[in-house]
Amino acid sequence: MKKPEDEKKGDFSVHLRYFRFRKERPRLKRKEESPIGNPGNETKRKFLAMEEIFHRLGYPYSNVLLDRIEEIEGGESLRATKMVSANEFFLAGHFPNEPIMPGVLTLEGMIQSALVLIHESFARGILKVFLRRVDRVRFKRAILPGDRLEFSVKVTAKEERIWKFHGRAQVGEETAAEADLHIQLDFRGVGFEI
Amino acid sequence: MENREIQKILPHRYPFLLIDRILSLEPGKKAQGMKNLTEGEWFLHGHCHYPPSLILESLAQVGGIILGSKAREESPGTGFIGLFAGVSNFTWLRYPRRGEAVTLKMELSKSLAALYRFNGEVWVDREKIAGGEILLSFIKTPPPNPSA
Repeated sequence: MKKPEDEKKGDFSVHLRYFRFRKERPRLKRKEESPIGNPGNETKRKFLAMEEIFHRLGYPYSNVLLDRIEEIEGGESLRATKMVSANEFFLAGHFPNEPIMPGVLTLEGMIQSALVLIHESFARGILKVFLRRVDRVRFKRAILPGDRLEFSVKVTAKEERIWKFHGRAQVGEETAAEADLHIQLDFRGVGFEI
Repeated sequence: MENREIQKILPHRYPFLLIDRILSLEPGKKAQGMKNLTEGEWFLHGHCHYPPSLILESLAQVGGIILGSKAREESPGTGFIGLFAGVSNFTWLRYPRRGEAVTLKMELSKSLAALYRFNGEVWVDREKIAGGEILLSFIKTPPPNPSA
C-alpha cells in the first residue's frame, strides 16, 4: 500500500524529468543569425515592391523577371540577377520538351532593370514611362534552365525626355544578349533627381 | 492559314504561341499575321497593354512561318531550327490595347547565309503602331534517317 509521502515523491520525480527535458532542448537566441546568413532582406523587400514600381511607371509588365537586385547607382547603373529554372511557366511552350529561355524575355529583363533604375533615380513625382525604341539587340547564346542570368544596365546618354541605356545579359562571363534601349520619361508632377 | 496549320510549322505552344491566324502568305517573301488581344491572356491579367517585348516575339513567329512554309514547300518532311537573332531600330508609337486585333506584317529584305533580315510592321486598323527590323537565324536539318 502506498503512503501519501511516496505519492509526493513520485510527483516530484515527474517534475524533475520535465525540467530535465526542458533543459536539454536548445534555446534559440533572438539576435543569433542563421548559419546560412541573412539572404538580403533589403533585396527581398525590393522584389515585393517590383510590381508596384511598374504600376507607378505605367509599364505593362508581363511577369517580374528579376530575382535580386545586387547593386544600384542612382541615375547611372544597376545590376540584377535572375535564376532560370525548368519550372517556369513559359518554358512549357518554348519549346515543348526542349526548354530554352525566350530571347524576348531576356530583353524584357533588361527593360525591367532599366525601369527599376529610373524608379530609384526619381523618388518623388508622378512619372510615366514609354519604351520608345530598341536598337542593336543581339542574342548571342541560348539560355538554358540552370543558368544564372546577370543583367547589367548602364545609362549612356540623357536627353531632354529620353534616357538611353546599354543593357547586357551575362551567363557567367559569357555575354548572352546585348541591347540599346531608349526610354521616354513623362513627368506629370514635380519630379527631381537625387 | 488557321491556327491548326500554324502549329504544324511552329514548335511554340500554349503560353508562348503569340499569333492566331495568317491572313496572307507568300512563302519565302512576306506574310500578314493576326493576333487578338483578350483579357484571358496571361500577360493581360489586370492590365490593358500588350507588353512591347512580346510584340517582337509575335512578329518573329510570323517570320518563322514565312521561312518554315518555304522549307516545307521545297522538301516536305525537313526539320528546321529557327532562333531569334536580333532586333535593330525598332520604334513604338503606342502599345496595342486589350480588345484590339493586331495585324503583323513581315517582309524579307535580306538574307545572309543563315541570317534573315525582315522588315516588320504592326498595325491596328489603319494606324501604324510600331515598326523596325528583325533578324532571325534559320537552319535546315536533314530529315530523320529511317534506318537510324
